[in-house]
Amino acid sequence: MSTPNGLIDPSDPRLREEEAVAVATLVSATGSSSKKLGSKMIVGRSGRLLGGVTIGGCVDAQVIEAADAMIARNDGERRRLLAISLDDDEAWEIGLTCGGTLEVMIDRVDPKSSDDPVVVAHQRARALLDSGETVVIATPVESGVPTALAESELAGWSSDDRVFMDRIAPPLTAIIVGAGEIAMSMTHFARELDWRTVVVDGRERYANRERFPDADDVLVGMPSELVARTMTEARSPKNVAIVLVSHDYKYELPILRNILREPVAYIGMLGSRKRGVAVRDLLREEGFTDDELARIHSPIGLDIGGKSSGEVALSIVAELVAVRSGRRP
Amino acid sequence: MSDRPTAFRAVVLEHFKRPKNRGPLEDASVSAEGANPLCGDRIRVQLRIVDGAVADARFTADACAICIAAASVLTERARGMRVDALQVIDRAWVEHALDGAPPPARVKCATLPLDTLHRAAEMAREQSRAP
Repeated sequence: MSTPNGLIDPSDPRLREEEAVAVATLVSATGSSSKKLGSKMIVGRSGRLLGGVTIGGCVDAQVIEAADAMIARNDGERRRLLAISLDDDEAWEIGLTCGGTLEVMIDRVDPKSSDDPVVVAHQRARALLDSGETVVIATPVESGVPTALAESELAGWSSDDRVFMDRIAPPLTAIIVGAGEIAMSMTHFARELDWRTVVVDGRERYANRERFPDADDVLVGMPSELVARTMTEARSPKNVAIVLVSHDYKYELPILRNILREPVAYIGMLGSRKRGVAVRDLLREEGFTDDELARIHSPIGLDIGGKSSGEVALSIVAELVAVRSGRRP
Repeated sequence: MSDRPTAFRAVVLEHFKRPKNRGPLEDASVSAEGANPLCGDRIRVQLRIVDGAVADARFTADACAICIAAASVLTERARGMRVDALQVIDRAWVEHALDGAPPPARVKCATLPLDTLHRAAEMAREQSRAP
């Protein structure tokens, strides 16, 4: 399937039906916030939306119209830059802070061609993301072909043209240990955020598909081993968050022993401040340093005053977003 | 008379914090797993058998303190024993080794590693009978 980040997947059956599609990318937004830069839409015949996320409001209509026309004409045009002026009201409508000019790069793509430069770049990007790498798709905006690079390869790459750098991080894998109600709510929220969720427990009556229809995986067995295995499968621990909501030291301690020295994105543990201190003290006796123990977010979640399991889950998800975006250590 | 509950807690805590024989046994002859589906304790007991005797015994567990402590004393006891003799280790021996009996609601925490050790011994016997 086409990914939410708008990368072309030639195996997507909806794309195989199309002779050509248009990939529209927001590449500049002058006089406004840059938060939507990189938003992509995949548009097919008759303006069918086939993937990506909409840019929003009145902009979508103009982009779809231009993309549809480009596909229908089939006159050899591969790239168009669409400039769209917005007044303040229109900018607010799509989540930007004030009006200005947007620039949308529209590429005509043959999704069935293995030579199409966008298909080539997106395939490499998908492979890099699958291996846990953060990807940058570098596209000379006026006419050049896109190049997908691992972030680590960026230093050796340059261009004299105006280049749009589209940075795409691999999706987060949240390993949720303890298949209670908080975990159930977390999998609902995580799905909205396109996170991969793996629910782990030693008890089958808790960890099962009936209770976790939204989870990508539900695993029953020895939790510390299942977490280790899932981390290995995720390839890069930097894209893994460990959420301990079992409220049971028998799972927490063996897992913490395994992960405290791994560069995982986040470690959170349910429980009171006092309980968190007790667990840290025990692990300190085993040789873990204060810096390593400080990585445990406990009490878990942002303090939003929530009480119910759904509210606690929301606070955990919010903390994870804050940590990933650098708003929380 | 000793204060049995206090002594039991002290022994369990000591084995929980510094368990004997915790961790995987790379060259195990047999590996048995046990679980308590209600509380979620999970344990694996591994034995290396040489000439019908336990040359090494180790366990891996995501389990409570009583279960870890029982596994610790049991694997220590099993080392050097003949496989046929492992079945004689019983709950009374575990309680003696832990300097007391667990509270009634926690008896299964101590018997889970015992049952798993017995299963490992059975597997070793079957292995020795195989052609």
